[in-house]
Amino acid sequence: MKQSIEGRELITLDCFGTVVRGTYHRSPDANTDASEQGRVGVLFLNSLSLPRAATGDSAVYWAESIAESGYPSFRVDLPGLGDSDGTLPLELLSFINAGGFGGPTSDNVRELVERFNLSGVILAGHCAGIVSAVFAAENCPQCRGLVLMDPYFHLPQAVRPKLRQALSDWALHSTMGRIASNVYDQLRELYSRLRGSRPPSNANFALLRCWKKVASTGLPILLLKAPARKASGTKPRAGEFDYLNYVLKLAGRRSQVNVKFVDGTDHSFANKVGRSAIRQHTENWLKAHFPNAGQIDPLASCFRHETSTNEISVPTTSHT
Amino acid sequence: MQTFPKTKTELSECASYFQVTGAHLYTVLHRTTAPVARVLLVGPFASERQNSYLPWVRWARHLAARNIEVLRFDYRGVGESLGLFEDMTFKDWHADLQFLTDWFASRTPALPLILHGLEMGALLAAKSFDSDLGDALLLWSPPANANLALRSTLLRWVGLEQLLTPGAERRSASDYILQLEQGDSVEVEGYSWSPRLWRDSFLWELPFSDGQEDAASGRGRVKIVKLPKEAAPLVKGGFVGYDEVKSFDWLFEKDAEWIKAQAFTCVESQR
Repeated sequence: MKQSIEGRELITLDCFGTVVRGTYHRSPDANTDASEQGRVGVLFLNSLSLPRAATGDSAVYWAESIAESGYPSFRVDLPGLGDSDGTLPLELLSFINAGGFGGPTSDNVRELVERFNLSGVILAGHCAGIVSAVFAAENCPQCRGLVLMDPYFHLPQAVRPKLRQALSDWALHSTMGRIASNVYDQLRELYSRLRGSRPPSNANFALLRCWKKVASTGLPILLLKAPARKASGTKPRAGEFDYLNYVLKLAGRRSQVNVKFVDGTDHSFANKVGRSAIRQHTENWLKAHFPNAGQIDPLASCFRHETSTNEISVPTTSHT
Repeated sequence: MQTFPKTKTELSECASYFQVTGAHLYTVLHRTTAPVARVLLVGPFASERQNSYLPWVRWARHLAARNIEVLRFDYRGVGESLGLFEDMTFKDWHADLQFLTDWFASRTPALPLILHGLEMGALLAAKSFDSDLGDALLLWSPPANANLALRSTLLRWVGLEQLLTPGAERRSASDYILQLEQGDSVEVEGYSWSPRLWRDSFLWELPFSDGQEDAASGRGRVKIVKLPKEAAPLVKGGFVGYDEVKSFDWLFEKDAEWIKAQAFTCVESQR
């Protein structure tokens, strides 16, 4: 029985007194004592209640390949999730959406930086994991960037009402249902135009405030979007609020947000097309912002908040 | 390496890699002081792992809190274990179980060993028990054969896929089954199913049916529980992010007692 094998090591962190368990994927040049000598690490967060391997073990694939390209990677189970200790609240989704994992995440970052001699950490989150990443980044000076996979900025319901589910099924599986669904979309579109650019009442306003604070500093952010039902590219379904456009504006002129659309996959990015696109986009982005195999000039990072790059990428469709 | 003081829980749950031929298996040992029995947890098929993980870990902790030492693991090619999923067969996963059973049994030979399988893991555990491993067997929702486990996973995945796919491009479950039968792999929830996996799945059957377990095994005790829908996400269904955190005491209490009773009977019979 071993804790460490070639390329990987099982680790535990002390998160406010709770034992957090995770996997460390070494960079090829890591010292034998696991010192990563000033490199930038990548920390993958749980997507909602999934264990740290994620759907189809996609997070294992990403962490392994990113580590191989020189960025030590970590996958941890946040308190109460996966193999970690701790108790989860019954309303897990509400807890996450309120930023409940923000504190534990930034505490994990602090410990990883200290323990592995990292110059900083990129937080990578998928779905609900992006909420924790954004909330954590607000109070985490060691956070050097964010990779956000298929983010959402509203407050979804954990359990859909039965009537709504039944209507949704009907709309999907019958001709009449599809027609009714299209009419409904057009009515919502009309309402959305009348409402203007204000986010709807079920927006996660706390998260949007936090996003604005974090993104407007110029923190490099990679936003990866998956196809959605009845949506076209990065544009939402007719009648739905265009959160992506909204958050890009909210980020301001100094922000460095890159948006990539990944076609041929689904929300999880777990199929071959999705996982390979995520790996490629993330590696390219890391090399552009943190060159020299993840080693960054510590002095340069001190001036991160003063730089004005004025780089908001226009959402582009990039198919892998 | 460890720079922080170890807590009690850290010492009692030990995650490690166990070396088998060609791979390392991820294992978590839930230690306990003065154990009365050991339980080897044999988990469900790869795609079900992510949904059932939280209640599965809670079940391991529930048992450990009752002085039952628990070992759980990931099959090779799945989760935290190493290996390529597409190369794996039921035979490989059964071999994983055999290796770990031997290792676990050799730790404290005097203690009764109970095998506990969930869904596909129930088939593998039953197969091991049938070949004389373990003192008792607990099965949660075993399918009659492994193909039924694959089929239900495929059906659920196809349903979700259809939500995203425009009408003309939609493919049914039978289309994918045909693809497998014609010798092509199918990617389901990030796992590439090989035609061999599909073909072999028909051969992995439950060695006895519900009600015939004692007669069939001829030794020890066997309990088969068909979990109701309320047991989601231990079984398929339920709401992600909601059902994992609900109480499973109605299930855990009863079956932990059953395990303890089997351990007691086993120790008594050895005297």
